[in-house]
Amino acid sequence: MRRRRTFPVHLALIAVSAVMLLPFYWVLKTSISGDNIFAYPPSVIPRDPNPFYYVDVWYAIPFARYFLNSVIVSGVTIAANVVLNAMAGYALTQTFRGKSFVLLLFLSCMMIPFQATIIPAYLITGRLGLIDSYLGLALPLFSTIICIFVYKASFDAVPRSLIDAARVDGLSQWTIIWRVMLPLARSATATNVILSFIWSWNNFMWPLIVTRTPEMQTLPLGLARFLSYQEDSTGALYAFCIMVLAPGLLLFLMAQKEFVQGLSAGATKG
Amino acid sequence: MSASPRSAALRLLRNRFVLVPLVLLVLIAGWNVFVLTHNHGIVTGRVVDAVGRPVAGATVRLWVFNFTTFVEQASVTTAADGSFRFTDNPSHNIQISAEKPDAGRSERIAVRLYFAAQDRALPQPLRLEKGS
Repeated sequence: MRRRRTFPVHLALIAVSAVMLLPFYWVLKTSISGDNIFAYPPSVIPRDPNPFYYVDVWYAIPFARYFLNSVIVSGVTIAANVVLNAMAGYALTQTFRGKSFVLLLFLSCMMIPFQATIIPAYLITGRLGLIDSYLGLALPLFSTIICIFVYKASFDAVPRSLIDAARVDGLSQWTIIWRVMLPLARSATATNVILSFIWSWNNFMWPLIVTRTPEMQTLPLGLARFLSYQEDSTGALYAFCIMVLAPGLLLFLMAQKEFVQGLSAGATKG
Repeated sequence: MSASPRSAALRLLRNRFVLVPLVLLVLIAGWNVFVLTHNHGIVTGRVVDAVGRPVAGATVRLWVFNFTTFVEQASVTTAADGSFRFTDNPSHNIQISAEKPDAGRSERIAVRLYFAAQDRALPQPLRLEKGS
């Protein structure tokens, strides 16, 4: 009886999912067939599928180098986000004078677009001597306010008595964060990891500004470079897109349960 | 009662955050071993005439994709049985053609490889046609 009631809902969800997934399927199909997007009639099944567009991409630009750069920058960004955001999130769960002002400041800072802060960010990075370095590439994304609030929401759900018990046992604030709070906030950590990875992985503007040498460029810059080389090859372009997207998709698929839990943590608190 | 180190290791291996990267690493390592053992740049094949007889002394040219177009990389002459062998193909995207003054010339065939300098034996012979 219940199954009969949920069937139309599932049918509608499948239809919506198919519509959402169609562009991804189209990119994947073109990357293995090279079918022109304007071909008529359009074919849903790829004609003569082959992996050679991926091979072309691999050899057209130093893909492995760009990939390694992206992995290093994303790794540094993820580590910094987890550490710094957990600390900031924990601080915001404490009671202190001016807490409301700090929260308001954080929320208002979220409304400033990154483009507006590029010049000071560049000047600071330059003063630190980090232009054209991995650390310089990762620096602006070291901590993001949304992720701080994700940790705050997760830490708010931890009973105060647990923190008080840890204090009575003589644990320092640092130890409470790493040994008590973080193990209880795995979903928030997964959300932090995924969001910081995606933002860092897809970042185009900042690497464009802060890198000087081709050896330090990341995948989004490689994509732009590749476009300037081979603008007539739809298959290779789409293959490149898939190669850039794949790590993010894989990470999301692995951690989607924690990711959704992390985003909805605290949502039902009354 | 604490778990034994072996069961702890097995539990860790079953964790998808460990298992997936591990499987990927094994696949990448396997692929790289395969590439390293098959990237000598050897391309072999045969040249036949219009009726399928081997052609000796035909000139076979190797064309390599160079950024925007194909350029001639090397040429060899076929043996008595019509076979040829290139040993220095550096590319993943090549074309091969054959010609002999009194037997005609073949079409330039495209050969796509899975990695640069992949060893490859052409499944079909190059067929010389007069007037082509």
